[in-house]
Order: sequence, then structure tokens, then C-alpha cells
Amino acid sequence: MSVLQDLLREYLPILVFLAVAVVIAIALAASAILIAVRNPDPEKVSAYECGFNAFDDARMKFDIRFYLVSILFIIFDLEIAFLFPWATAFKDISMVGFWSMMIFLGVLTIGFAYEWKKGALEWE
Amino acid sequence: MEPNLQADLAVILPEIVLALFAMAALIGAVYTKKDALAPVLVWLTAAVMAVLAVYVGAVESGTHMAFGGIFIDDDFSRFAKFTILIAAAVVLIMSQEYMSKHGLLRFEYPVLICLAAVGMMVMVSAGDLMTLYMGLELQSLALYVVAALRRDSIKSTEAGLKYFVLGALSSGLLLFGASLVYGYSGTTLFSGIIQTTQDGVSIGMLFGVVLVISGLAFKVSAVPFHMWTPDVYEGSPTPVTAFFATAPKMAAMALFARVLYDAFGGAVGDWQQVLVLLSVASMLLGSIAAIGQTDIKRLMAYSSIAHMGYALMGLAAGTEAGVEAMLVYLAIYVTMNVGAFAFILSLERDGQPVTDIKAMGGMGARDPAKAMAMLILLFSMGGVPPMLGFFAKFAVFTAAIESGLYWLTVIAAISSVIGLFYYLRLVYIMYFGEEAEELDHRTQPVLWGFLMVSAAAMVLGVFNMFGVDTAAAAAAATLVH
Amino acid sequence: MELIILFAPLIGSLICGFGWRVIGEKAGMVIATGLLFLAALLSWIVFLSFDGTTQIITIMRFIESGSLSTDWAIRLDRLTAIMLIVVTTVSSLVHLYSWGYMADDPQFPDVKYKARFFSYLSFFTFAMLALVTSDNLVQMFFGWEGVGVASYLLIGFYYKKQSAGAAAMKAFVVNRVGDFGFALGIFALFFLSDSIDFSVIFADMPTIAETRLHFLWTDWNAAEVCALLLFIGAMGKSAQLFLHTWLPDAMEGPTPVSALIHAATMVTAGVFLVCRMSPLYEFAPDVKLFIAVLGGTTAFFAATIGLVQNDIKRVIAYSTCSQLGYMFAAAGSGVYSVAMFHLLTHAFFKALLFLCAGSVITAMHHEQDMRNYGALRKKVPFTFWAMMFGTLAITGVGIPFTDIGFAGYQSKDAIIESTWGAGNMYAFWMTVIAAALTAFYSWRLVFMTFYGKPRGDRHAHDHAHESPLNMLIPLGVLSLGAIFSGMIFLNSFFGHTDQVAKFMGIPVAEASAVAGGDHAAADTGHGETDSHATAEAGHGEAAEGDHGAGHMVFAGTPGEGAIYIAPDNHALERAHEIPWLLKLSPTIAMLLGLAMAYLFYIVNPKLPVRLAQSQPAIYQFLLNKWYFDEIYNVIFVKPVLLLGKLFWKRGDGSVINGFLNWLAMGVVPFFTRLAGRAQSGYIFTYAFWMVLGLAFLFTWMSLSGGAH
Repeated sequence: MSVLQDLLREYLPILVFLAVAVVIAIALAASAILIAVRNPDPEKVSAYECGFNAFDDARMKFDIRFYLVSILFIIFDLEIAFLFPWATAFKDISMVGFWSMMIFLGVLTIGFAYEWKKGALEWE
Repeated sequence: MEPNLQADLAVILPEIVLALFAMAALIGAVYTKKDALAPVLVWLTAAVMAVLAVYVGAVESGTHMAFGGIFIDDDFSRFAKFTILIAAAVVLIMSQEYMSKHGLLRFEYPVLICLAAVGMMVMVSAGDLMTLYMGLELQSLALYVVAALRRDSIKSTEAGLKYFVLGALSSGLLLFGASLVYGYSGTTLFSGIIQTTQDGVSIGMLFGVVLVISGLAFKVSAVPFHMWTPDVYEGSPTPVTAFFATAPKMAAMALFARVLYDAFGGAVGDWQQVLVLLSVASMLLGSIAAIGQTDIKRLMAYSSIAHMGYALMGLAAGTEAGVEAMLVYLAIYVTMNVGAFAFILSLERDGQPVTDIKAMGGMGARDPAKAMAMLILLFSMGGVPPMLGFFAKFAVFTAAIESGLYWLTVIAAISSVIGLFYYLRLVYIMYFGEEAEELDHRTQPVLWGFLMVSAAAMVLGVFNMFGVDTAAAAAAATLVH
Repeated sequence: MELIILFAPLIGSLICGFGWRVIGEKAGMVIATGLLFLAALLSWIVFLSFDGTTQIITIMRFIESGSLSTDWAIRLDRLTAIMLIVVTTVSSLVHLYSWGYMADDPQFPDVKYKARFFSYLSFFTFAMLALVTSDNLVQMFFGWEGVGVASYLLIGFYYKKQSAGAAAMKAFVVNRVGDFGFALGIFALFFLSDSIDFSVIFADMPTIAETRLHFLWTDWNAAEVCALLLFIGAMGKSAQLFLHTWLPDAMEGPTPVSALIHAATMVTAGVFLVCRMSPLYEFAPDVKLFIAVLGGTTAFFAATIGLVQNDIKRVIAYSTCSQLGYMFAAAGSGVYSVAMFHLLTHAFFKALLFLCAGSVITAMHHEQDMRNYGALRKKVPFTFWAMMFGTLAITGVGIPFTDIGFAGYQSKDAIIESTWGAGNMYAFWMTVIAAALTAFYSWRLVFMTFYGKPRGDRHAHDHAHESPLNMLIPLGVLSLGAIFSGMIFLNSFFGHTDQVAKFMGIPVAEASAVAGGDHAAADTGHGETDSHATAEAGHGEAAEGDHGAGHMVFAGTPGEGAIYIAPDNHALERAHEIPWLLKLSPTIAMLLGLAMAYLFYIVNPKLPVRLAQSQPAIYQFLLNKWYFDEIYNVIFVKPVLLLGKLFWKRGDGSVINGFLNWLAMGVVPFFTRLAGRAQSGYIFTYAFWMVLGLAFLFTWMSLSGGAH
């Protein structure tokens, strides 16, 4: 059990962060409800979109290309997620670690090259 | 670490080669002639897989660990890899003409199959929960895409989407289970986990095991995690269905065995109960629900659910004999399915694929050789004695009996009787059924060849099973200590 | 050589049965017949050169299962040698005879049937040889069932005839009753001695005789139980009283079959079994008594029925039944050699009678009713003479107080004297009376067939003709056997102790030595050759002393020699001391029967009719075979049919079929629909099922607590 407790202890800061985040979120929301002056009129409660009235229902169909772009973005998103810890520990890792990341980037590049050539990045 | 690197890389050489080939093919094709290159690519991929299969099956030997034990290469994984590679190659070859005829032969198709195969190979060699998940996801993602290969078909996209969403759910379960296991054992290495389970399993660990099993059960389409199977089998292009029914089943079952023995081998009594439940439910539902099907692909889906139930039964035995029986069962199952799907692929009327079982009416008279081959395969799937399928069932039944799982065996016997009904109904339709509108008479030589070889194997294999049983015995011995 | 004898018929059968389409019907028949004659020739060589020593010829490993392990082997001793010549000789002659008899058959106008017939005959011969050469009980059982199958096939040879099929089935079913007893006997012996080999069982007999088996309410002597069970088997095969009903019906088969199977060989298998198991029966005196009584009763009972039958073959069939009774009477009296003696002579004269009957039947265009015969003496002279020899043999004609007479005279008188020797007066009188009845029905057959005026269809009488040569040669050969076999073998089978002992290869000892005690201990450790040497020595001593003296007794342990006769069994010697008046009694009885038959059928042919009318009760009783068939019908057949119908209609029809139909057409489709409905096509349903399943697994694991 001690192994388990040690393990859990390592996660204590995360738990603290979690608690703080929850507390702050609740505090902000609650303060808005409790403190704010409430004086609604039609203009105030209507949807606000860059100074215009809403053109359409929010649940309209999106162009599929939006999804495509967002999915393609995830690739780079993940890449960054891996690169950060790699970069911070760069001093301590061996050549194997370095080349592993290079291979990873290479694989990502192949994917990128494919989608580029395939025309996924072109809007029209 | 440095000095071992070369040795480590040598161990994963087949996976590296296949992955590099996939990437090279992808870039090569996309920068040259694209889809026009696809037929060549299909054959090339099949050839590479076949070469690797030979390499895996004949050249390598012994047990090797790589990267600190997260990757295991032993007789067991090689048995699975060999089957996976051969099955993938065969399905690729079978699908070539069908796919090009229906405008589905994009160059991504062989590449995706290739990547799925890499994923499967990693799965069966996994020695760590991380490796397991990586392999599983690589395989799954590739499969989600091929399921939806026919983009203009609602059924195909629906199949892909359903598979993806439910697959994500099952991955979630698996991950949840994996993190529980990690939480309670402090390691993701199988060799580490098994040490912590030596003296008793805590309830949290137990839940972790159940969750991991559930995640894997989805991949082998065991009841109640099977719901995707009929829809995906029906919706996907038939060659893809053939692929689903063969290689991934082998891979997932092998992974299943790997996790249960390498990681949770100390808690056989715990997971045995779960597996018995899954096995019973799969066998019964697979057999019973298949009766109502009129689409042969859906029927094959339920058939594979039932077959997975029998294979799980071997696993549930919790003994070396059980694992051996399971491997033999799967090898035979894969062979049977290759033949059966070769037959299904050849069912066409005016160039359009036909999947209604009624369309087979009168086949016995019109195309006796094909009908006879299918009859042998159906008998074999149903477990009628002289065929190899009987011996597969016999092996798992024996293993279960020897482990004292009498009730499981009784239920298995009952469900195999029920299951026999729909296999025999197909035979009935072929030979005595109402004459259906005539089907295209020409059968592609490739399909015809695989159908005949598979059927012949079901009969001739009775003599020595082509050595599969000895290989399976060796594989089981390395897994179960 | 023994192997050739055993397998030649099988090879002939296979070639003829499966190969005739290739080599032709005639070639198949030639091969089958030729191989059988070869076997017969070799059998005679074996018999004549046989020196009395028991030999075991191992062919192959037969059974290997737990403590049960045995070889397929030939046990060659005097019994086997006798059976070899009987079986192969009669069989080869019947093969030859069948060439003529089966030449044209109205039953099969367009079908080729001859190769099938010959194949069956050869197969039967093989099975019979397997039976008689067997070295252990299971091998014997194999032959036993093999001849049963062959008998079934041949009785039902005219499969288009309803009655033939029914008769075949009846024979098979009735034999099952006996076989059940036989099988139980084998089990019991295996249970007791842990072996099925004769040599082991025989050596074990003294122990078994002292073992007691607890069954039902009391203890039973193990030897008696085994002996009785085996005898039940013998009763079935040899058509003894209560299990005899199939034999007359078996006459539906072609006549050569009746001659071979249902007269000369298969039906004598029961007698052979009892003689073979003589070590067992010597230790089961009660069963022996039962056998003698039942044998005597059967001899009498079957003879009475034979008196009034009109079908020529049925008369001979009942005669067979009766003669088998004689053999059992002898065996039950403990004089096995005499039983074998009668078996041998009977095989010749009964086969002869049947083949003669067949000859008459072909001459009369397949007319079998004797009332339609008459005055055939001139039409078929050769057959008439052969029939005459057969009848003289079966009725036991000979010159009293000498050894000169037809075969039946020697062997039947020997039996009657043996029953007296064993002190069984019931069997003695039964057999004497039966001798009179035998004479009556046998002469009645001859008189009705060959004398008097032609009766029945004139056309048939006009066209009656002598049979072809291939049918007459067997008649001639068998006639020789019927005349001379008794005189030749009398002393070997029914001589004094030392003569019989030498013939059978049994050691003998001085009566005083046995009286002195443990003969068994003296012979312990003697091998086969040793015991033979003892026999020789015993014989030598006997030759020195008074040849006819009764002071020699059988010695040796059970299993030595062909048969075993206990040292205290003096029936054989006592039989020779029978008073002259009693010794004459069978001859007197025979003359009485002859005289009655002459009176009834030659002098005053109206008399039988009048007698039948004045005594309708007795006549009907006999004509209907003591109403056995009717009684069995009421006691066994009807209730079993009723029970069968109950199981069929209620048990199978309602319960099993109903249940399975309910399951297959109600329950399973219900679940199929249910499964179909669960497969809604909505992804949330699927996910829901997955989560539900997971929840169930969690609950299950939590409640059961895993393996703990």
C-alpha cells in the first residue's frame, strides 16, 4: 500500500490545483449571481454577435471543411504537446531521445505532406 | 540503453519494415499517379506482408524482449503475427478486383490495411499497457477509416461512424481500466503488474481488470460489446468485412490472451468468471440472432460473434491447453472465413454484389464446385465432424472440460446445435431452395482459388492440421508458465 | 495352413460379393466355391495329421484396453479340428450344390442374385470358422454374431417375400435374447478371472467354482451363474426349448442355407460352446443337470411337432431341433465327446436330408407341401436313395450289440447310453421316446414323398425330374458320411476313457492315484507338451494293462486337452455298463416308429386323417407347435409392441418431439426476435448495452468477490 500512497502523494499538487480551480470557478459564477445588478431589457438579453443580430440558428450545419481543418490542427497540437516536455528535458535525454523525436516529427511530416498533396488544405 | 538499441530494433524489425513501407507507399503514391497506382500497390503490399510472414514464421525464433520489456517477441506473438499477415495479404489480393470494379480502389486502401497490420503486430507483442494501447489504436483508427471507405454510401459511412464512436467508448473503458490497474500496481509493465497480483487482487484492481477486459471484448466483438458488429459488417465494403472477420479477430484474441496471462496470470480465478460470462453470452446470442438474418454479411457477423464465444471458451479454461485450443480455433476460423468471404465476394448479379441469402438458391445445380466448397466450409463452421471446424470446437471443448467448466461446455454444445441451423439453412438454400434469379457465372480465378484451397484445407487438414496444432502448442507454452 | 482355412472363405466372400460386377457372376462363384474346397481339403489334412496337442496360433493383437488384453488367435485342438472338417466339408458341398439349386429362381426374374448368395454363404463360413477357432470369448462372440448376421441375411435372402423378411427378423430377435445371456456370461467370467482367454479362464476354474456372487436376495455359485448365462446363449443359437421358435421359420431361406446353417453348422454352435466350456460345466453340476433335462425335453417336444407337419422342410427343421436336444442331453450328462460325436454325424445326415429335400423341391417346382408329393421314387431315384441313407442314419438303424450301423445308430445310442450312465432317467426316457418319434416322422416323410400315389398338381408330377450332377455329387458324398462316419469314429468319441482321452488330448491317471488325492498339484506346472507326454504315457500304461478296464480316469487340470472331464465324472465308463435290455431300447423304439409309419402311410393311408379327427385337441396342439408362437405373441410381442407404441407416440412423439419443436420453433425464434429488436441501429442503444453489460460485470464481480 505504501507504493500506492507514494504514488498518490505525487498527484497531490494536481488535486490541489483541481480544488483551487473548482473554488475559483464557483466563486466567480456565484459572485456574478449574488453581486450583479439585474435590470434586463430586450436588447440586453438578445444574442450578441460582433454587433449584429444573430443571422441564423446556432445549430445550423457547418461546412465539413471546418472539421477537416480542426482535425488537421490536432496533429500539430499533439506535436506541441510532445515537444514541450521533450524540450524542457532536452539536456538530460540521450541521442536516442533526440532521434526518437526526430522520427516522430518525420512521421508527422509524412502525414502533413500527404494531406497537402491530397488537397485537404485547400479551401476550394 | 545505448548498446541494446540495435538489438531492440532488430526485434521490432518486421514492424519497422511494414511501417516504413506504408509511409513510403503513401508518399510515393500521392506524389505520382495516385489511384492509378493502387492495383500495383495492393499486390506489392500483399507481397511485402507475405515476405514478412515468412520472416516472422520461419526465420525468427526464441523469446526476445525489447525496450525494457514493453515489446515481446516470442512463439506466441509470432504465431499470431504470421496468421495476421497471411490473412491480411490474402484479403488484400481477394479485394483487388472487387474494389476496382466498384471504384473503391484508392491507394490509401492497401496503406491503411498495412497500418492496421502494423497495429495488430504491435498489439500481439505488447508487454506494457502503453504498447497495448498504441497498437490497439493504430489498428482501430485504420479500421474506422476503411469501414467508411465507400464515402458515397450511407450504410458505409454509418458503419464507419458507429464503429468509430463505439470504438472510442471502448477505448475509454480500456484506458480507464488501464489507469486503475496502473494506479493499483504502480506500473504499466505486464511483468510488473503480474508481480503485484501474485498475492491477491484488490477490488480496485479487479475493476481495472474488468474494464480492460471490456475494452478488449469490444475488439473481439464479444457480447454485450458486440452491437457494432452486424452493422459494420453489413455496411462496409465486402472485402473490408472479410478483413474485419479475419486478421483483427486473431490480433484482438491474441492480445486478450497476452494481457490475461502476462499481466493478470496470477488472478486466473478472477477473470475466468468474466470470460465465462462473455463466452456464454457470445455463443448463445451469436447462434440465436443469426437465425433471423437474411443478409449473408450480417449472418457472418453473428457467426463471428458465436465463433469468438468458442474461442473465448478456450481462453476461459485458463490453462495452456486452453490457449492452444484457442489459437488452433482462431487459425481454423480465419481459414474458414477467408474461404467463406471469397464465396460471398463472388456472388454477383449483373456485376452488382448480392448479399441476400435467397440469391444462392439453386446454386448446387448451377455451380456444383463452388456450392460444394461452400458446403464444406459451412459444415466446418457448424462443426460437423469430418471437417476441420469440428476439431477446432473439439479442442476448446476438451480444454474447458479439463478445467472443470462443465456447464460452459454444455451451453457451448447447445449453442453449436442452434448455430448449425443457420449454416445448414444456407446449404438447404443452395441445394434445395427456391431457384433464384441467375447469378453471374464467372468467378474471379483468385476468389475461386482461395475458396477451393480453404475448402480443401477443411477436409485435408483433418490428417495433421498442417502443423498448426504443434505451432499453437509451442506458442501456448511460451505464454502460459 | 490354419490361416488359409480361416481366411479363404472371407476372401472368397469379398471377391464374390464386391468383385462380381468386375469379374462376372460366374467367376465370382467359381472363386468362392474353389476357395472353400481348398479350405475343406486343408481342414482334412489338419484333422488327420492332428496329434491331440493343443496349439495356439497367434494372428494379431486383438484388444488392448485396461486389464483386458487379448490376441486374435486360433486355438487348435481336437474340438476345433472336428468343427473345421464339419464346417468346411458341409459348406463346400453346399456351395457346389447351390450351383444347381440356385440356377434359376422365380423370386428374382431380372436381378442377378447368385453372386450375392455365394458371398453370403462364404461369409457365413468365415464367421463360423472364426467361432470355432477362437481362442477367447470375445473372438468367439465375434464369430457368434457373425454367423447370426449371415443367418439373418440368408433367411431373408428372398427379401421381396414378406414372410422371409419376418422370419429373418424373428431369428435375429430371438437370438438376441440368447446373445444377451452369452454376453453377460462373458462379462461375468471376465469379472471373475480378469481375462477372456480360454486358457486363463480354464486354469481359474477351481477358484471360480468356490467364488460366490451376491445378486438379488442371495449368494450364487459363480461357476453356476456363468455356466447358466453361457447356456442361455447356446439355447438361442441352438434353438432349444423356449428359444426354438425361430428355427422352423428360418426355413424361409433357400434350402442349401437350411442345410448348411440351420442344420449342420450354426445351430450346433451352442453345443460346441458347451463342449468348449466343458471345464466350466464340470464345475457347475446343477446347470449340467438343467442342460440334460432341457435337452431331453427339447428332443421329445420337437419330435412331437415333427409328427404332424406337412412342409417337408419344417419336418426336417423340427427334426434338427430335436437332434440338437440329443446333443445337449449328452453334454449335460458330462459326456462332451459324445455330444461332439452326434454333432459330427448329425452334420452329415441332416445336411444330406436337407439337400435331398431341396432336390425334391426343385424336382417338384418349388412345391414344399408333402401332401402334394407321392410316388417320387421312380422320378428321382438317386435322390430317393440318398434320402433313404439319410433316414436310415437319423433313425439309427444298425445291428444291435455290434458296432455295425448307420452313423445315427452309433451316436444316438451313445447319447442314450450316456444319459443312463449319468443316472439321469428323465433324459434317458425322453430320448428313447424321441427316438421312436424320430423314426415315425422320418419314415412318414419318406413314405409320403416317395411311396403311395402321386397327389397334388399333375403337371408338377409329370415334369418332375432328377437334379443335375452338381447337386447329386454332394448328396453322394454326404451319403458316405451318413453311412460310415459313425463306425469310423465310434471309439474315438465313445470308446473307453483312455481312447477318448487320447483322441481329445487329455491326460489320464490310474483311478487309485486320483483317489489318493491332489491330481491338480501333480500336474501343476506342466506345459502343453508335458501334459501331452503324460497322455502318451497314460495311454502306454493303459495299453499294457487290461484294455477295456474302467480303472483309468480323466486327469489333468481344466484347460488341458480339448475338453475337461472331472476325475469324479464316470458317466462315460458307466454308460458302457448299461443292461442289455436298455441298450436295446432305442432300436426297439426305432422299429416301433417305423412300424407305425408303415401302418399309417403305406398300409392304411386313411388312418392319419381319422386319428386327427378323433383327437382334434392333440392334433391341433401339435400342428400349432404347442402354441409357443401364440403364447409368446401374447406374453412378449403384444406388450412390447404396446410399450413401443407408448414410447413412440407419447414419449418420442409428444414429449421429445414436442419439446424440441417448442424449443426450436417457439423459444429460439422468440429470442431471435428479441435479439433483432435489441439491434435497433441507434448508436445510443449500442452504447447503452455496452455500459449495461459493464455494470452487470461489475455487479457480478463485486457480489462474487472474484475468486475469493
